[in-house]
Amino acid sequence: MKNIVIGRYVPGKGFLYDLDPRTKLIALLVLMAATFIIDELIHMAAAILLIGVILVIGRISVKRVYLGLRPLLFLLIFTFAFQILFNTQGDLLFETPLYYSPITLGLVVVIVLIWGFTKRFIKFKLLYFLATVFLSLFVLNTFTEPLVFATGTFSIYEDALEMALFIMLRLIIIVTLSTILTITTKPTDLNLGLESVLKPLKVIRVNTEEIAMIISIALRYIPTLLDEANKIMLAQASRGVDFQEGKLKEKVMQIVSLLVPMFIISFKRSDELANAMEARSFIPGHPRTRLHLLTWKTLDTVVLVVSLTLLISSISIRVFL
Amino acid sequence: MGIKFERVSYQYQGIDQRGYLAIGDINLSINAAGEFITLIGETGSGKSTLVQHMNALLLPTEGRMKLFGLTIDKNTKKNKKIKLNPIRKKVGLVFQFPEYQLFEETVLKDIIFGPKNFGVSEEEAIKRAKKMIEVVGLDESYLSRSPFNLSGGEKKRVSIAGILAMEPDVLILDEPTSGLDPMGRNALLEVFYDIHKTLNKTVIIITHDMNTVYEYAQRALVMREGVLVYDGDPLQLFSKKNIDNWNLETPDILALSKAMETKFDITFSTPPRSRKALFTEIKEVLK
Ligand SMILES: Nc1ncnc2c1ncn2[C@@H]1O[C@H](COP(=O)(O)OP(=O)(O)OP(=O)(O)O)[C@@H](O)[C@H]1O
Ligand SMILES: [Mg+2]
Repeated sequence: MKNIVIGRYVPGKGFLYDLDPRTKLIALLVLMAATFIIDELIHMAAAILLIGVILVIGRISVKRVYLGLRPLLFLLIFTFAFQILFNTQGDLLFETPLYYSPITLGLVVVIVLIWGFTKRFIKFKLLYFLATVFLSLFVLNTFTEPLVFATGTFSIYEDALEMALFIMLRLIIIVTLSTILTITTKPTDLNLGLESVLKPLKVIRVNTEEIAMIISIALRYIPTLLDEANKIMLAQASRGVDFQEGKLKEKVMQIVSLLVPMFIISFKRSDELANAMEARSFIPGHPRTRLHLLTWKTLDTVVLVVSLTLLISSISIRVFL
Repeated sequence: MGIKFERVSYQYQGIDQRGYLAIGDINLSINAAGEFITLIGETGSGKSTLVQHMNALLLPTEGRMKLFGLTIDKNTKKNKKIKLNPIRKKVGLVFQFPEYQLFEETVLKDIIFGPKNFGVSEEEAIKRAKKMIEVVGLDESYLSRSPFNLSGGEKKRVSIAGILAMEPDVLILDEPTSGLDPMGRNALLEVFYDIHKTLNKTVIIITHDMNTVYEYAQRALVMREGVLVYDGDPLQLFSKKNIDNWNLETPDILALSKAMETKFDITFSTPPRSRKALFTEIKEVLK
C-alpha cells in the first residue's frame, strides 16, 4: 500500500524539474494523443524508447515508475486475456484443440489448487500465474482419451495479439508519462499550470480555477489518505484484525472496518480543509495574486516544439502512409 | 516473560526510500505484571513509535524484541508462521488519536469489536462493554449512539473502553488524557491506577503531564530524539539537573514542597507526591 506512487511529488533535480508545469501538461496531452494515433508496432517501440530516453535524461529511477505501474498489472493481464479469448478478427495465428474430460478437468483443478497453496511462497507471482495458465492449457491440449465428452479449440488471432499488445503498451506509456509529471511537479505548480492550461475554456463559461483547484487537491490527498489508511490498519490490527489471514467473509468485514473510518475521515478532512481555506479568505471565483509566478524558458519552447512535432508526424504517418 | 527490547531501532520509510530514524538502539525490559510506568518526552521524540512495537504493530528494522516469549526482529514479517495476534490480545494499546479506531455503527459494536476478534462470546463482550462504558465515565445511553457524533473527549473515552474490554495483561495508553477536562482526567487516571492495583496489571501511560508522572508512576521512561535517556524512579528523575535539557518541567507538588522547605526551613520526612500526601506532611510538621 505504501508503494503506490501515483500522485506523489518527489523532490529532485533534472531538466524535468526545471520545466514549466504548463509545458509538462501540454506535452503530456500531446504525447498521449500521439500514442493513440500511431498504429504500427515499430512506432510504438520508438515511443517506448523515447520514454526511456526521457527517464534517463531526467534522471528518474525506473524502479519508481515501475512501482507506479504495478497497481495496473491486474488490468493489463485482464485486457490481454480478454483480447486473446474473445477477439477473433484477422488471420488465425495459432490453433489447438482442447479436450475436456473428467480426468483433464480434474488435473486442471489440481493444478489450480497447487497454485493457490504455493503462490505465497513464490517471488514472481505474475510469472507463476502465467506458468499455471500455460500448464492448464497444456494439460487440456495433450490428454486425449476415451472419456472426453467435449472438445473445444484454443486459438489466437493476429488482431487479438496486436490489440492486446497495443492496449498494454498504450496504458504503460500513459501511466509512465503521468507518473513522470506528478513526480517532478509540485502540487502547487501543477495547480497553477492546470489553471492556465484550462484558461481557454473560460470562454464557454467553465470555472477553470475551481476545476484546477479540485484536481490538485485530489492529487494532493492521495498520499495523505494512504497514510491514514495505514494508520487505521494499525489501529484495527491492535484490536485483533489480522489482515493477512481470514476467510472471505472475514476479509470482507476487514475491508469494511477499513473503509468506514476512511470515508468518515476523508469527509471530515474535506470539511476542515474548506474551513481552513475560508479562514484564509479563499473565495471561490475571486481573483487571487500569486506568490510564485510561472516563468517560460527556452527549454519549454524546445520541449513543446519537439512534442508537437512528434504529434504532427504521427498524424501525418497515419494519414499519408 | 513480558516485554524485552534489545537494541531496537525503527526507521520510517519515506517516499524517497530515505529512512527516517524514529527510535534508535532502545534497550528496555518491562514485566508482564505489576508495573506502573509513564513514558514522557517532547513532541516527536518517538514515544508513539516505541509503544507500537510493544504489541508488534511495528516491527524493528534493527535489533530484536521478545514479547511474551516470542522473539521478533526484522525477518518476522516474512515468516507467515509467526502469529502476532496473540501478542495483541495480551498487550492492549489505546491509540493517541481515537478517530483511527472507531468505525462501527454504534459505540456498543465498537467496544465489542476487539473482544470478539479475540474469541470472546457476544454476550460476554456486551457485558464487558456495559461495564467498561461506565468505567471510563460515560453511561449506558452512549452504547446506542454513533461513535462519530461524539465530542473529542467522549471519543477518547470510548476508544479506551474498547481496549479495556479486551482485558489485556499489559495496558498501554498513548496520551489517554489529552483533550479531557481536569476532573475527567483525574478520574480516568484513578481508573488506570485501580486496574494496576487491583488486578496487578502492567500499565504504561504516555503523557505530557509531569504531575501525573510524579504522583502515580513507579517508573518513568524519558525519550529524547528517538533515544531512551532515562529509565528509573521519577523521584530521582526530577532531582536531576538536566531535566530542562529534556524539555521536562518540575511537577507542581515537588516545586511547592521544595519551596516550602526552603522558605519555612522545614523538612518533610518523605517527599510528598500528591496533594493529599502534602497535606499530611504539613500536618505532621505543624504538630
Ligand atoms: N508514518 C510516519 N512516517 C514517517 N515519519 C513518521 C511517521 N510517524 C512518525 N514519524 C516521525 O517519527 C518521529 C517520532 O514520532 P512519534 O509519533 O513516535 O512521536 P511522539 O513522541 O509520539 O510525539 P507526540 O508527543 O507528538 O505524540 C517524529 O519525528 C515523526 O515525524
Ligand atoms: Mg505520540
